[in-house]
Amino acid sequence: MVSDSPAPAVPEIAIDQLCFSYGAKQVLHEVTLDIPSREITAFIGPSGCGKSTLLRCFNRINDRIPGAKVTGGAIRIAGIDIARPDLDLQVLRRRVGMVFQKWNPFPKSIFDNVAYGLRVHGEKNTKVIGERVEYCLRRVALWDDVKDRLKASAFGLSGGQQQRLCIARTIATKPDIILMDEPCSALDPLSTLKIEELLLELKNDYTIVIVTHNLAQANRCADKTAFFYLGKLIEHGPTVKIFSNPDVQQTESYVSGAFG
Amino acid sequence: MHSDTPHILREFDKAFASLRNEVITMAGQARLNLERAIHGLLERDLEKCKAVVADDDEVDDAELRIDRIGMETLVRFHPVASDLRQVITSMKVAANLERISDHAVNIAKRARKMLSRPECPEVPFIEPLYALADQQVRDALSAYTDRNSELGQSLQLRDKELDKMHKRLIATFSARLEEGGAGTEDFLHLIFVSRSLERIGDLAVNIGEDAVFLDSARDIRHEKHRASVAEGAAE
Repeated sequence: MVSDSPAPAVPEIAIDQLCFSYGAKQVLHEVTLDIPSREITAFIGPSGCGKSTLLRCFNRINDRIPGAKVTGGAIRIAGIDIARPDLDLQVLRRRVGMVFQKWNPFPKSIFDNVAYGLRVHGEKNTKVIGERVEYCLRRVALWDDVKDRLKASAFGLSGGQQQRLCIARTIATKPDIILMDEPCSALDPLSTLKIEELLLELKNDYTIVIVTHNLAQANRCADKTAFFYLGKLIEHGPTVKIFSNPDVQQTESYVSGAFG
Repeated sequence: MHSDTPHILREFDKAFASLRNEVITMAGQARLNLERAIHGLLERDLEKCKAVVADDDEVDDAELRIDRIGMETLVRFHPVASDLRQVITSMKVAANLERISDHAVNIAKRARKMLSRPECPEVPFIEPLYALADQQVRDALSAYTDRNSELGQSLQLRDKELDKMHKRLIATFSARLEEGGAGTEDFLHLIFVSRSLERIGDLAVNIGEDAVFLDSARDIRHEKHRASVAEGAAE
């Protein structure tokens, strides 16, 4: 039988019944969620609901926290279980880049910040590095601002520019997924909009997962939104649906500001 | 879905209460205008007819107030989900109420002209049409205030009954018109009064459809038309 319908897309990140604990305290309860490729997915929910913890599971940086561990379920990225003992964490973290709430450029030049990841991963060809740095700075709309001072310290840039530099640094190593933990929470409104515009442009090439307390930001940028409460995934779906007609009362209350 | 849980920001709830109260007050005024217009016609009461024309400004002002409060609520609080539907629906209901009141004014003006002439025995013929139109308006407003999508949707079906009654009346008045004679002008007025009542029924249907959207986020406007187009395309 021939079917015209396209094959169902394989999710970039498949989370299956994930449970996670910090010591004796369980913070994620059987979370099951598929995150599609080349889309922006926003995680929303009140503080302590587990959204940042889940985000940090995707590149296993929670592994560094004593007592923190996955106690059940699995996360598969492009079909591969990221808990596999033979998984090279460096490869995982190159594929799954991360941008943090507070921009954190290295105490190096603008150029070296972007080149850093390439060099760490063994790239020595200066022409390749130079081209990649320019490409990344152009992608984050920073090239025109910094092309004449690439050797200057990254700390001389504004907050919004430093955050965009961090995004350039993240995409330099050609990840498939970019994780963002409240990337705009310390930025002014115009810098925030520039980052959002950048996200919308980047999603053509990357799968983006963003944790945000800014519901308007989730509404503006995300294709899909997932609402978490007390470590549980309450509802997940197209952002328009979540903000216009959610299925679950708790979601409606939270997005309407009538929660608690 | 709608939650009665108050918003964390109490100003938001105050703005909502204000919007809702304005719509309810406006609805009362629009219905009163319609009632006085019809009673002015049936009872040959010139003062009632004059009052409708004079009080229409209040309804117009209410529409402007509701739009202003709605706009301010959108700008200040960025409502989403059922809150957003509440604001949008309230503004749309206000627009429909304003048009209902305009039709009441049209009826009152026709009535005023008829009062200057000898009494027309066929005037009471419009009473059942008014009763049905007014019932539709009442149910539409109940559907809006109670977020009752079932009641809101039922208006579409019941409007057909009103349309049939309107057609029968038009046929009756047209036949009398063709007969000629002293009452010709009255029948012309009665045809326009009937048309206004039929349009009021349509506006009630609009409000009912808005109530369905408010309650369940379903947009049932033009569903029949869309279904027939889809059917035609399938054939």
